[in-house]
Amino acid sequence: MKILVLASFVIVLGLFLFLTQVPVDITPEKVSAAVSEAVSKSEATVDEDIVKQVVLSSIEVLEKGQSKRLKYLAAAYLVIWLVFMLYVLRLGQQQQQLDQRLAQLEQTSNGEE
Amino acid sequence: MGNLSTKIIGVITALLVFISLYLIFGYARIEGTMLEVQKIFYYHVSAALTVYLAFGINCIFSVKYLVQRKPNDDLLASASAELGLIFCTIVLLSGPIWARYAWNTWWNWEPRLTSTLILWLMYIGYFILRSALEDDKRRLYSAVLGVVAFVDVPIVHFATKFWKSEAHPERGAKFDIAPSMLYTFLVALVACIMLFTLLLIVRYRVKKTQARYEIMQQKHLREASG
Repeated sequence: MKILVLASFVIVLGLFLFLTQVPVDITPEKVSAAVSEAVSKSEATVDEDIVKQVVLSSIEVLEKGQSKRLKYLAAAYLVIWLVFMLYVLRLGQQQQQLDQRLAQLEQTSNGEE
Repeated sequence: MGNLSTKIIGVITALLVFISLYLIFGYARIEGTMLEVQKIFYYHVSAALTVYLAFGINCIFSVKYLVQRKPNDDLLASASAELGLIFCTIVLLSGPIWARYAWNTWWNWEPRLTSTLILWLMYIGYFILRSALEDDKRRLYSAVLGVVAFVDVPIVHFATKFWKSEAHPERGAKFDIAPSMLYTFLVALVACIMLFTLLLIVRYRVKKTQARYEIMQQKHLREASG
């Protein structure tokens, strides 16, 4: 049981670290290529450079917020597994103490007999 | 329930927890408004639904105790209430973290939050009552309180229908999410319920051992004095 909770905790932490380390897949070159393709398909006349700038600045805004969002996500999952972990540890301790007391009691009863 | 069945439940639970975590972080689509933070939803809502189940079991076994007066029913009822309280704590802790990002505040007194906090406090009261009374009275009064406290569960569930709430979706609102998010949620829900089942079995066993110890101790004291 303890192993299950600890392993899940480690996995969540590992996934969080992994997610924050993922390199940004959308490079300016990719944005330029995608915008050029979209503009060439479009029938409306648009300024390609302005569109590129808008798209790039939108991506920048989203990327800046990502670390903040991931912190909230990690905090929530840390809290969830921490509560489970503490509860399971307490259960384990309780069972251990009871087993010890039972053994002591049985020993005392046998000694008296 | 034997050790083997508990181990099987443990293995299934472990697998489900791992699969659900993989699905949450690696498969489910990122929601458009709250982006990554929305992923809190999967365990937050699953834990909330597990709270209903836990307090439901507590209510059923409390009624059973009141009818049949079997001490084991009281043990199972209190074990279930304890786990309900743990899951409710998870809901009340993970919710504000989500709220801080989504509503820009840790807490607001909207109907579902308030009724959930009241539910949590009622079951805290349940355990305060249990710790304050002796055996028979403890079983009887806590069974009555278990039934009474369960009345708050439907109030929590229908809170958004009874009172207007802008934060939580209204009960009966269309559950319109992407298939990847729906499957992930269902797996997380099953994982949560399995985790609850496993912990309930373990807690019930600890409580039974405790009851056995208390009986043995009383017997030993009686023998020593007389």
